[in-house]
Order: sequence, then structure tokens, then C-alpha cells
Amino acid sequence: MSFFTVENLSAGYGSRKIIEGVSFSLEGGTLTGVLGANGSGKTTLLKALCGILPHQGHCTLEGQQLEGLSPRQLGTLCGYIPQRSGLSLHLPVEEVVLMGFNPRLGLLQRPGAREKALARKALAQVGLEGLEGESYLTLSEGQKQLCILARALAASPRLFLLDEPESALDPARRWQVLELLTGVLNRTGAAGLVVLHDPALALNFCHQLLLMGEGKLLGSLDPRRDSPQKMEEALSRIYGPVTLTRSRDKTGREHLVLLNEWRETP
Amino acid sequence: MPRHKGFLAAAALTALAVLAAASLFVGKYPLTLSGILSGEEMQVRVFWTLRFSRTLLGVVGGFCLGVTGFVFQTVFRNPLASPDIIGVASGASAGAAFGILFLSGAAAVTLASFGGALGAVVLCLALARLDPSGKNSTILLSGIAVHALAQTVLMALKLTADPEKQLASIEYWIMGSLNGVSLSSMGPALFIIPLSCLGLCLLHRQTLLLALEESEARMLGAAVGRLRLGILLLATLGVAATISLTGLISFVGLLAPHAARLLTRDNRTGTLLLSGLLGGCILTGADLLARSLGPTELPVSLFTSLLGAPFLLWLVFKGGREV
Repeated sequence: MSFFTVENLSAGYGSRKIIEGVSFSLEGGTLTGVLGANGSGKTTLLKALCGILPHQGHCTLEGQQLEGLSPRQLGTLCGYIPQRSGLSLHLPVEEVVLMGFNPRLGLLQRPGAREKALARKALAQVGLEGLEGESYLTLSEGQKQLCILARALAASPRLFLLDEPESALDPARRWQVLELLTGVLNRTGAAGLVVLHDPALALNFCHQLLLMGEGKLLGSLDPRRDSPQKMEEALSRIYGPVTLTRSRDKTGREHLVLLNEWRETP
Repeated sequence: MPRHKGFLAAAALTALAVLAAASLFVGKYPLTLSGILSGEEMQVRVFWTLRFSRTLLGVVGGFCLGVTGFVFQTVFRNPLASPDIIGVASGASAGAAFGILFLSGAAAVTLASFGGALGAVVLCLALARLDPSGKNSTILLSGIAVHALAQTVLMALKLTADPEKQLASIEYWIMGSLNGVSLSSMGPALFIIPLSCLGLCLLHRQTLLLALEESEARMLGAAVGRLRLGILLLATLGVAATISLTGLISFVGLLAPHAARLLTRDNRTGTLLLSGLLGGCILTGADLLARSLGPTELPVSLFTSLLGAPFLLWLVFKGGREV
């Protein structure tokens, strides 16, 4: 039995269906990337999985069906990281991270010393140590994204649902964040589903790739096992003609490099 | 500007204590501490029947308006939000007008105004429930509709009022005043207001979650619809209990939260309490001016508006637009 299973998921806005008949499964300790062109339904998929959007179909996490769970139960199991947080309040960074513990606390209960220690540890993990007392609104967009990531990490959910968590980060920080995430998943046995715009990141960090197109799951890839030819063919369905090569950096680490074949628009 | 929380709390408490003391002793009939302590009959009577209840209402009512203003701005993610955004003030005015026309006695008017405020908010929230998505914007639109309805009722009641007595009473009530409040008429409010403020302070961590996008708040374990309903009703109880005694008081609920945030630069529970203390200072100070400056007593809102309108303009043009 898989760690997380999605069966025949359909969702949309009002009567307009955005994704239809999506089924897949994730294993514990792994990171799965969702790739697709704009409007292919990636964000809708994440929102449906965490119950923000009403949907048909079933999601089962470690044997527990997610549909019908209260927001508190759902928040304990799943950590959702939106593209941008809607927070527009002056609040200290540490306080924002402590919000992540809300599903585990009573209605009137306040975070204690244990939660504060975990929040500080998570902030250090994402490289925001020393900024605990700064106002969230004074952070750069990239730092805000890291703060929201720390909020999810501190709460240790069983399933991470991340919507472009690296979009405001510089290239070096993107790699660090995905390395951190895969390390956390490996250690805790939790699973992660991450929507990424950059296929290079997905190819080099994810254990599995889900390819979305026009609201449907076009297929899945295993970047560590599948041949470059097979991956080229699948990725070409999303991005147009691409070339995939393996290349080593100066430290000897192997990377999958994706090259877009530029063609003049007819 | 000093931002040490302890210093700010001590400064606000001292200012409130000084204003409250001034409010107890300053007025048309000046009181002295020695006169009261020596049991001089007239002084003791004025102290207990006029000054004490009036000062208590200024402090407690102002605190409540400061706290609830802070909560409304946070929940609606709008720096200009006030309790009237969901029809509290217009409902209270219509209720008070009904009380003045058809009931007798100050207590009945207070009760009618409280009922009007609460009724308007319940109607607003019930209308908003017709939209299953339960968005903030639906509540705001319902609030506008209820406000318009309450204004129509108020207008109709004014048309039927006796222009010599009843109409003047309605207008005077709408202008707001702490005059004529007795300890006995404050009884229920002295129970409701602390309960509302205590509840809002205890729930403040949840109120902050409502300042996020709804989906984000939900994924942080907040049952957004139920939570917002509970917090708004709790805040409304406090505001309704206050303005049913004072009449409409402008700007306190807008000014105090912004002033508190400007001082602390955050939105934690300490800032919520500071907003309450500043609300108490503003209302007590405005009442002090209202009964000291003119030959007759002036409306409190005249002074809160004199302070509030320039502050609002400064807020719009200078910054501080974040909640």
C-alpha cells in the first residue's frame, strides 16, 4: 500500500472543470515534482489535494482518507505552502512560523517553549537565523518564501504540498531549499509534492515527476531510472522539443541538463 | 520612538490613570479629594451619581472600542474597517430612535439600541451565510445592505418623531455623549464589555489567522467560517454594549489600533491591549474636553472626529496602510 494515494481526482471552479481523472501515488520519504505548462492545472491539483477546492475522487494518506477531515486534522497531516502568503500584518518572523503549530494547539492554547525552539530550528534550517524578531513585512520576497517554508518544516506534517516554493529565490538558494527538503523527507519519512516551473530542479531533486497537460495527468517519470530519450520524449509534450543531457559539475556531481530547442514560430 | 513594550504599556496606563483622575474631578461642579474623603454630601453625591459612572464608561467603553476596532481591522484585512462595516452603529441608531419614540426611560432606549445593533449584525451575518463560499467580501456587501436598511428605518422613525422633543433626542443620541449615564444603567454593559474584551484577547492568536488568505488559514487548522462568525459576534457584543450607552462615537475604533501599531510595529496581543488603553485615553480625554470647553456640553464625537479626521488623512497620504 502506497504512502499517499490519489484516485480519480477531479476539481475546478464552479461548473468549470480544471483537472479531471487524476490518479497517482507517492512513497514516503520521497519528493515528487509536478511539471506542466501554464494553466495545466498544477496549482488546482494541490488545492484539491489539501481540500481547499471541493473535488471528486479520493485522497488517502497512510490509510486515512483526507476527505471529511476537519481543518485541524487536515492541517496536522498536510503542510501547504502557497506561492505567496496573504499575510499583510506586521508580525515578528518567529510568530509567523509559530502559526504552523496551530492545528496541534487548543483553541486558546499558546505555543510553548518546545514550539518556540522548533520554530527557531526551522528558521535556522532555511537560513533565516537572527531574523526571528524582524517584522515579516520587512523581509524580501525570497525571505518571506523561506519563512513560510520554515513554518511548514517546523510543524512536521506527513505530507508537504508546495506550490512553487522557490519562485522568489536566487538560483543558489533554490538548490539549497530543495536539498533541505529532500533531506527532511528522507529523515522523517514524510512525502512531498512540489509544483515547479524549472524542470532542471525537478529533474535533479525529485524521485518522481508528474506531467500535467490540459488538466490531465499525461504520465510520470523517474529521473533516476528512466533513460534520457524517454524523458526527452515525455517533456517535449509539455515544453516543445527539448534535449536532455547528463553533465558533471566541478565537484563531480552529475546533473541532468535540459536544453530547449529554439524554433521560429511559424 | 521607544518601542519597549513594558514602557509603552506603563506610559499608556499612566496616561489613562491621569485622564481618569481628571475626569473624576474636573467639570462644572469641581470636586476635591479632601471634600470627598471628608464626606461632604454634595461632593460625594456628584462623585457617585455623575462622575464615577461617566469616567468608568469612558475608560471601559474606550478600551472596548480600541480592542474591537483592532479586531475588525484584522478580520477584514482592511485598515479602515470599523464595527459599522457590518451595520453595528446604524442598527444601534435605529434601535435608539425606536426606543425614544415608543418606549419610556433611558434604560429602555439603551436596551433598544443594544437590540438594534445586535439585530443588524445578526441580519448581516445571516445574509452573508447565503453565499456558501463565506468570503469576507460577501459579509462586507451584506453590511452595506443592512446599513442602508437601518438608515431607511431611522429616517422613517425620524419622520414620525415630534420635532420639538423626540427628534432632538434622536439627534443628540446620534451625536454621542457620556452624559447622564448611571451605574445602575451600566450594570449589564459592565458584565458584557469585559467578557467581550477578555474573549477577544484569548482568541487573538485565532484572529491573526483570519488575516491570512482563507485557504492558507484553513490549512493552518482554522475553521474560517465558524471562527470569523464567533469573533465578530463577540466583538459586536462589546461594541453594542458600549454604544447603547454612549451613542455613536466616531473614530476611536479606527484611531486607537493604528496608534498602537505605530508604536509597537506589530500585531501581537500586547498591541491589542495597548489599542484598548489608547481607546480609553481617547474617549476619556474627549469626554473631558466635551464638558469643559463650552458653556454647554458638546458632543464627544466632535473631539474624537477633530483628532480622527486629520489622522485618517495622514494615514492615507503618509503610509501605515498595512493593518
